[in-house]
Amino acid sequence: MDDARQAAALDPITLEIIGHGLVAIPNEIDANITRTAFSPLVYEYKDFASGLVDAEGRLVAQGSGSIPIFVANALGVAVRDGIAVHGIDNLDDGDVLISNHAGTLGQHLNNVVMYTPVFDSSGELFGFMCVLVHWVDVGGSTVGSCSATDATEIFQEGIQFRSVKLWSKGERNDDIYRIVEINTRFPTMVLGDLDAQLAGTLTGKRKFRAMIDRYGAATMRDAIAAIWDRSEQVVRRGVRDLPDGVWRAESFLDNDGTDGDVSVPVGVEVRISGETMTIDLSGVGGVLRGPMNSGIYGGAWPAARIAFKILTAPDEPANEGCFRPLEIVIPDGTFLSAPATAPMGMYSATLATVIDTIVRAVGKADPSRAAGGHHATFAAHWFFGTDPANGALYHQIDTGHGGWGATATGDGGGPYKTMAHGDTLDIPVEVQEALCPLLVETIGFRPDSAGDGVHRGGLGTEKVVRVLSDAGFSIQIDRTQCRPWGIDGGTDGEGADGRIEPADGEPYRLLKGVTELRPGDRFRLHTGGGGGFGPPQARDPERVAEDVAAGYVTRERAREVYRVALDETGAVDASETERLRQGG
Amino acid sequence: MTEPLPLSLIVAIDTGGTFTDIAAFDMERGEVVYAKALTTYGDLVDGVMACVDEAGVDLARALLVKHGTTLVINTLLQRSGAKAALVTTKGFRDTLELARGNRTNPFDIDFRRAPPLIPRTRRFEVEERVHGRGEVLAEPAPEEIDRVAEVIAGLDVEAVAVSFLNAYRDDRNERAVAERLRERLPGIYVTAGTELTREWYEYERCCTAAANAVVGPRMADYTARLERRLAEGGFASTLYMMGSNGGVLSVDRTLREPIALIESGPVGGCIGAGAYGEALGIPDLIAFDMGGTTAKCAVIRDGRFGLSSPYFVGGYDTGFPIRGSVVDIVEVGAGGGSIAWVDAEKRLRIGPRSAGSDPGPVAFGRGGTEPTVTDANLVLGRIGAGVFLGGGLGLDAGAASTAIADRVAGPIGMGDRAVEETAEGMLALAAVTMTGAIRQITVERGYDPRDFALFAFGGSGPIYGSALARELDIRTLIVPPEPGNFSAIGMLLADARLDVARTMIRDLDGEGTLSEIRAAFAEADRHGAEIVATEVPGAAATLVRSIELRYRGQKHSFVVPVSEIGDASSLRGAFEAYYRDRFGHSDEAAPIEIVGIRVSAYAQTRKPDLARLPRTDDAAGETPTSRPVWFGAAGGWIETPVRRRAALPLGLAAEGPLIVEEYGATTVIGPGDGCIVGALGEIRIEVGN
Repeated sequence: MDDARQAAALDPITLEIIGHGLVAIPNEIDANITRTAFSPLVYEYKDFASGLVDAEGRLVAQGSGSIPIFVANALGVAVRDGIAVHGIDNLDDGDVLISNHAGTLGQHLNNVVMYTPVFDSSGELFGFMCVLVHWVDVGGSTVGSCSATDATEIFQEGIQFRSVKLWSKGERNDDIYRIVEINTRFPTMVLGDLDAQLAGTLTGKRKFRAMIDRYGAATMRDAIAAIWDRSEQVVRRGVRDLPDGVWRAESFLDNDGTDGDVSVPVGVEVRISGETMTIDLSGVGGVLRGPMNSGIYGGAWPAARIAFKILTAPDEPANEGCFRPLEIVIPDGTFLSAPATAPMGMYSATLATVIDTIVRAVGKADPSRAAGGHHATFAAHWFFGTDPANGALYHQIDTGHGGWGATATGDGGGPYKTMAHGDTLDIPVEVQEALCPLLVETIGFRPDSAGDGVHRGGLGTEKVVRVLSDAGFSIQIDRTQCRPWGIDGGTDGEGADGRIEPADGEPYRLLKGVTELRPGDRFRLHTGGGGGFGPPQARDPERVAEDVAAGYVTRERAREVYRVALDETGAVDASETERLRQGG
Repeated sequence: MTEPLPLSLIVAIDTGGTFTDIAAFDMERGEVVYAKALTTYGDLVDGVMACVDEAGVDLARALLVKHGTTLVINTLLQRSGAKAALVTTKGFRDTLELARGNRTNPFDIDFRRAPPLIPRTRRFEVEERVHGRGEVLAEPAPEEIDRVAEVIAGLDVEAVAVSFLNAYRDDRNERAVAERLRERLPGIYVTAGTELTREWYEYERCCTAAANAVVGPRMADYTARLERRLAEGGFASTLYMMGSNGGVLSVDRTLREPIALIESGPVGGCIGAGAYGEALGIPDLIAFDMGGTTAKCAVIRDGRFGLSSPYFVGGYDTGFPIRGSVVDIVEVGAGGGSIAWVDAEKRLRIGPRSAGSDPGPVAFGRGGTEPTVTDANLVLGRIGAGVFLGGGLGLDAGAASTAIADRVAGPIGMGDRAVEETAEGMLALAAVTMTGAIRQITVERGYDPRDFALFAFGGSGPIYGSALARELDIRTLIVPPEPGNFSAIGMLLADARLDVARTMIRDLDGEGTLSEIRAAFAEADRHGAEIVATEVPGAAATLVRSIELRYRGQKHSFVVPVSEIGDASSLRGAFEAYYRDRFGHSDEAAPIEIVGIRVSAYAQTRKPDLARLPRTDDAAGETPTSRPVWFGAAGGWIETPVRRRAALPLGLAAEGPLIVEEYGATTVIGPGDGCIVGALGEIRIEVGN
C-alpha cells in the first residue's frame, strides 16, 4: 500500500478491527498452549503468557488466559535484553531466542520467555511474538527447581539462559537443546512444553505477519498508537475517579522466608493527583534470606501494575497504554527489587500481599473502591517421591484457596486463589489421588474463619492430605500472623496455618521448609478467611441466621460479634437481638 | 371409530428462545409443512400446541414426534428448579460450593461465582470412600443412609442428588446409597452422578448430579403435560425428546437424565448440517447458525459434530459445568438484533446486548432507538423493506439510516462519510466477533477453517455467510433449504443415540492394559446397544468407538476414533498421526496414557428424504426484480437482482451480486461469487476473493 492509502485506511472502524485482531492472536496461542502443554503449572495454573510487543518491547497485546503476574510486560523486558545483548541488527528472521535470566526477568528460573522477531514485507523489524512458559524443572537443588524453601542463592535454583538463540535464521541450534535436555529432571516434559511453546511462538509470528501484510506496516503502527492512547484515556478516567491525596497502608510478611519469627514490613504509599498515580514501595523490607525475592521487573512492577489495574480499569485489555499514568517508585535492594543473585524460587509468594496492601491504602481514602484483605498466601505444598505403583518419580504441587475480602457490594467471594492469580484452577482430588500415592481426607470450609461485617468475608478452607508411602514434602505458607484485615469497621479474618500430623508422633506446625513424611502422616492446611466490610452489628440479622444455619458462622459468634440471638429453631429472636444490639 | 389412520407423519417441534418451530413430513405424500408460533413462557406446551395448530398437523396421523426444548437450560438459568438435597462423601460436603478456585477476571475485586445449586444446609455427608486408584476403602452403613434419608424427608425437598468422590472408578457405593434413598424416599426424585457420567473430576460430576436433580421434577411435570396435550390432539404413537448429543431420547430416559437435554435446541441445526453434508459429499463443514441475539457455530467432520465436556451453564466466567455429551458449540452475542453502541472512548462496539423482537431494530418502528445489525443490513439494501415475516412487517429504512448516522457515525468520527460506510463497518465489526467464534471452534480445536465448507442457516446466517467465508478463506458456502426453520429440519433427521464414556487412566504400554480396554469396550458396546435398542424397537444399533489418549503429563486428552483395538504400537501410531495433524508436532519417545474410552450407539429412526424438504412453489409467477445494494469493496451501490428462493429452479447457475429472499431468511451472494442451486435445493456458493 502507498502512504496515502494507508492513512485513509485507518478509519475508526478499521482501527477497531485491527484492535480485535491483535488481541485474537495471543488468545488463540493461549488456547493451543493449554491444550498441548505437559506441565500442570501451564494447563491448570495458567503459568504462561503470550503476547505481541513492538520493536522496542512495548506491549501491543497480551492473551487474557494467563495469570496476571505477567502484565508487567515480562515479555517486553526479555525482548529488550535480547536487543541489548545481540544488537538490533543481529536479530534475524527465523531467530528464536529464550531467556530466563534472573537479572532480566526477576522471577524464578522456571519462567522462560521465548520470542522471535517479526519483520514487515520490506524487511523492517516490526515487533516480536513472545511466549512465556513455566518449565516444570530447570535443575537446581530440588525437584521442580523453585520449591527449595532453603535456597539462599539463585544458583541453587537451576540453570540460566540469557537471550540465547534456540534457532538461528531458521536453523535449529542442537547445542542449546542438549543443554536444556541435560539440565532438567523431566526432559520429556520440558522438551514437550518447549515444542508447544515453539509452535505457539511461530504460529503467532505467522499471524502477526499476515496482519502486517494485510493492513500495511504504517497503518498497523498508527493503529497500535491509537489503541494505546484509547486505553490510556480509559485508565486516566479510572484514576480521576479516585480521591486525590497521599494514602498509606502497612502489612507484613511472617518472616524472611526461612521460617524465622522476625516479620518483614510491607509499607506502601499511593499518591493520587488528578489523572496520575504513583505507587511508592520504598517501605517494603530488604532482600530476604529465603527464596521469596523478586527483581524489580518480576516483583515491584507486576505488584504495582496489578493493583493499579484492579483500581482503575479491570476490564481494559492489557497493553502499554494502560500503565502510562502510573509511576512506580522503588529503591534497589528490597525483596521486590532484589539483585540477580538472590534466591527467587517463590518470587511471586509476596505479591498478593503487596497488591492487597496497595488496595488497602486506597481503601483508606474511599472504602467503596477497595475490599477487605484476602488470604493472600499461595500456601504451595509439594509432595514428591517414588510411586510404589509403578516405581516412577512423581511430583505433585497444589496451592491453597481461601477467602476474599468483603466489599461495599456484598460478602467476600471465594474460595479463590490469590490476587496474583487469575483463571487458575485447582487440581481435582480425583486427579491427585489417581496420579499420586496420596489420600485427600477433606477439603471444606472453616466455620468462623471469615472476618465479620455488614458484609462478611469469604471463608477460609481446610484441606487434609494423608500420604500413602514415603514422600518428600515441601511447604511455603505465609500470612499466618498478619490476618486479612477488615475494612470500614469490619473485623479481620483468620490467618493461614499448616501442620504435620505424623501417624505415630506429636503434631507440629510447619509453615516453610522441607521434610520427609512416612505412610499415614497427614498434612493439614488452613487457609485464611477474607476481611469483613462495615460493622458486624449492622449486618441484617436474617443473613446472620442464614450463615449460622449453613454452618459458616457459629451460634456463639453470631451472639458475640454480630449481636444476633437465635431461638432453638435457628430463627432470629428479634427482641433479644434488639436488646443485644442496644446494649452496644 | 372407523379404521385407524395410517401413521405417516414425522413431526419435529423445536421450542426456541423467541419462536417455536414445527416441521412435519408426510411420508405418503412426500410433502413437508412448516410453521412458527411465539414461544410461550407461561407454559411452553401452549406454544408447542399453537405451532401444531398453525401448521394444521393432524397428530392422529403422526408416527413420531421429536421435540427439542429450552426447558432444562431455562430452569437452570432462571434457578426455577426443584428444591433439592445433595449427599456426598464424608469430608466433601463443600465440593459443590468450593468450585475450582479460579477467577475468570483476574482484576475484578468484586468477582463472584453464581451460588451453588444446592445450599450447604441441604448437603449431607456419608461415611464411605473409594480411593482414586480404585480401592473401596469403606462401604456405607445402611443405618447411616437411613439416618440421612430421615433428615432429608423432613426438608420438604423434591429431589436428591448423590455424588461420591472417585465413584467414576467404582460406583458401587454411590449406587447402593441412591437405591436405598429411592426406597426410603418414595415420591422424591433421586439421581446419582455416575448414572449421568463416568468421567473423573469430582466438582464437575457433582454439579451434573445437582443440576439433574434440580431439573428432574420439572421435566417430569413437563413431559406429563406435553404427553397429555398431544394425546388430546389425537397423538397415540412415540414421543422422543431431543438430546444435546444430537440423538433423540425416549421419554423414560429423559425422565432419568433430563440434563441430557441441556442444549436441546441448537443441536438440531448441527444434525441437519451433518446430514446435508453427507448427502452432498461435503463431509467437513462448519455449521453457522445466526439468529436474533446470538450466532453459534460447530464443526462437522465426516458428517459428525464434536462433543464437548464440560458444558458451562451460565457461561464459563461465573457459571457451573455439566459433564456429558453436549454438542461442541461456540456461541457469541452477535445476531440480527445486536445493538451498535459507542463506548466512553468513542470506540464502536456491537452487542452483546440485543434489541430482541421487542422493541426490535429501529426499522421495526416499535420504539427501538438503538441501531442494530438488522438496521445496517436494511440501510445497505441487503435485506428488503418487505422481507420480514413474509412482508407482514414493513421496515423503515430511513429511520434506520438516521439512527446509524446520529448514534454511531457521528460519535465515532465517521460523520463526514456516507452513512453506508458506517453501516458496513458495523457489519464488519460484528463479523469480527463471528469469525472469532469460528476460529475458536476450529483453530483452537486444531482444525484449519480453510479445510471446511461453511454451512449457514438461521434467520441471519445466510446474509453473512459470504462475507465470513471470504474473511476465513473458505471457498464454499452452502445455504440449505428453509434456513429459518433449519433446527426443526435437523430434528426430523435425528436418530436415537447414547454416548458411553468411561475414564480409565492406564499406561498404553502397561501390562494387561489392552485386554482391559477391550473388555471395557465390549461392556460399553453392550450397554449402548441395549439402551438404543429399547429406544427404537427393532432397529439395529450402530456403534462408533473412540479412545481418549494423551502424552503422559498432559491435561488435555484427544479423542481418536478406533474400530478395533490392535496392539499398542498401532494405537500409538494413530494418536501420533492425529496429534501431528492438529498441532504440527508429535513426540515418538514420550509415553502415552489412555484416559478413557467412548462408545456412541445409534439406532435409526424413520426419516424423510432430503430431496423432498424444500417447499415446492411455482416459478412461473415470479417477476424478476432488483434493487440497489451496497458492496463497499466493489465500489458502493450496485443494482442487484432479487429472486424468490422457492422460484429458483434446481440446477440454476448465477453470478453475484444476487439476493435470494424467502420466508424467514435472506441470502446474500456477493460480487465475484458464483452460485448454483443443487439437487437438494441447497444454494452452493463459490466464494470469490
